[in-house]
Amino acid sequence: MGSIIGVLKNILCRMLQLLSFGKKTITNSLSVYVKISGGRTVAVDLDPTWDIKNVKEVVAPRLGLEPNEVKIIFAGKELGDKIKISECDLGQQSILHAVKVRGRLRTTLPPPSTSLIEDIDEQASKPLSETLNDTMFSNEDSSKSSSNIDDGSTNSGEGTNRTNVHFYVFCPTCKALKTGKLRVRCHFCKSGAFTVHSDPQSWNDVLEPKQITGLCENGSELCADILNNKEPTFAEFYFKCSEHTSLGEQDQAVPLYLIRPNLRDVPCLACTDVSDPVVVFPCTEGHVTCLDCFRQYCITRLTERQFWQHPEYGYTLACPAGCPDSFIKEIHHFRLLNDTQYAQYQRFGTEEFVLRSGGVLCPQPGCGMGILIDEGCVKVACINGCGYVFCRLCLQGYHVGECRSADTEIGANAEACSYNVDPAKASEARWDEASKVAIKVLTKPCPMCRTPTERDGGCMHMVCTRAGCNFHWCWVCQTPWTRECMGNHWFG
Amino acid sequence: MAATRRLQKELGDIRNSGLKSFRDIQVDETNILTWQGLIVPENAPYNKGAFKIEINFPAEYPFKPPKINFKTKIYHPNIDEKGQVCLPIISAENWKPATKTDQVIQALVALVNEPEPEHPLRGDLAEEYLKDKKKFTKNAEEYTKKHSEKRPAD
Repeated sequence: MGSIIGVLKNILCRMLQLLSFGKKTITNSLSVYVKISGGRTVAVDLDPTWDIKNVKEVVAPRLGLEPNEVKIIFAGKELGDKIKISECDLGQQSILHAVKVRGRLRTTLPPPSTSLIEDIDEQASKPLSETLNDTMFSNEDSSKSSSNIDDGSTNSGEGTNRTNVHFYVFCPTCKALKTGKLRVRCHFCKSGAFTVHSDPQSWNDVLEPKQITGLCENGSELCADILNNKEPTFAEFYFKCSEHTSLGEQDQAVPLYLIRPNLRDVPCLACTDVSDPVVVFPCTEGHVTCLDCFRQYCITRLTERQFWQHPEYGYTLACPAGCPDSFIKEIHHFRLLNDTQYAQYQRFGTEEFVLRSGGVLCPQPGCGMGILIDEGCVKVACINGCGYVFCRLCLQGYHVGECRSADTEIGANAEACSYNVDPAKASEARWDEASKVAIKVLTKPCPMCRTPTERDGGCMHMVCTRAGCNFHWCWVCQTPWTRECMGNHWFG
Repeated sequence: MAATRRLQKELGDIRNSGLKSFRDIQVDETNILTWQGLIVPENAPYNKGAFKIEINFPAEYPFKPPKINFKTKIYHPNIDEKGQVCLPIISAENWKPATKTDQVIQALVALVNEPEPEHPLRGDLAEEYLKDKKKFTKNAEEYTKKHSEKRPAD
């Protein structure tokens, strides 16, 4: 609703501008929205060469205020008067917040100060994503990263060589990996008219809730209550795609925080090429792969069903070097796979979840619906799926009494059939039969998880290769591997 | 293709390093996924000959381990009659994508030089190795003389 009004206002404004022959005609303009306390939004065209003072001059009359009574808030910071629009990481349709200065009335003259202090002041009044830099976010370990800041350009006061922090996101609109922009809002009322008390220093500050306190300037009564009770209001960080025009406040993107610029020229552990950006795995070593090798790693593990069903994070992978406690927590990183592969990832993940929860998958070809069933229940109906009713134990059509082995099934069916077909011929002519027979003859099921397993040589000591099983069993006895097996028939 | 780029680098590195125990590396230009080479052991009883091996890298390399096969017959508790070898560093459960082929080759050379009868692939030879080392050494030496390749001159 708000956006429709916004669009209408925008059109109205443009018409007015056309009528009044535009007192300020702007070429190369930037169309942004300014949100005023009380929830109103006005559309404003800005010239990238303007500074914030110009913006205040344009916005203040619409609020019925003087320019020095207005403060402009964007991405967690109050923007200083001397900041240029082009320095503000603003995009088309970005939303600025204008609030009335409360309590203190600012003097129009800047306080007399040394140039150094002025510089620091300017640094602090740029939006967050302009003041953070990559070194802060390149490593979780704050002690390491601080030493790196020392290594880099020492004084950011000059601000010449400093690189802005690079965030990578999965954008649901572009459906691709994109660079992202960090934005801040009040954790309570979700208003963007919010200034942070300190910059986040690490990914932890950004990703975990309630790490950084700030001031909500929305003026909503609820947040005012929090303020009066002297409870802190916290910053809530979120990300936007920096490549498409903002589609409003709901248009967010998932941060893929393991993807980082390769500032240290670390070679990929798989192909040994140095590329940029890279995936840094969440292990203590911080192992690095390039994006191509990350994709290949995922595909290889996926097709072998070697992803891990983690109770907290979901269907995920650990560092390819096998480091402990290195599972990827944010499974949106697997959006780096293409659509087909990602669909497969989702299907396998769901199947694994159903099986782990004691469920079954509907055996009807082309169905495969996951069904969670009560313990002891044998007759399973595929409700919401294909409707097939089957026996939980043998996964054949539901039947009364003992399960028949699959071998006799063909014969029984042939008898019931009105045509007189040689059962032997019929069994040879079955679609997929050859591979089924091959699997049956060549494999034995893992006694733990029933995964058909082929033994291609070596001893009789089998280790199940299915992720999460790793059961040690004896090929001869089809039971757990024991000392007796080793003594009696280690090699057959 | 990650496999191709990495294998080209690894091949170059191994050729430059001039390993004494792994020589005559031959790779078909059209298929870098298959390498052949000659293992030249230092320890008795295998130091009377050399052994041809083939390394097969899967297309998913380095996320899946290479496979090694002996093309020359060898009397060894850890290498079976078909030339299959049980090398822990390249088993599915131990494999790490960061493991380099020269580490694999060095592990293989070490295994040839020092058999591990505790993890055998041929139970009969392991038993002989543990119970009657003299007999084993004699058999292995004769077998090597009869079946192995000629050792390079230098």
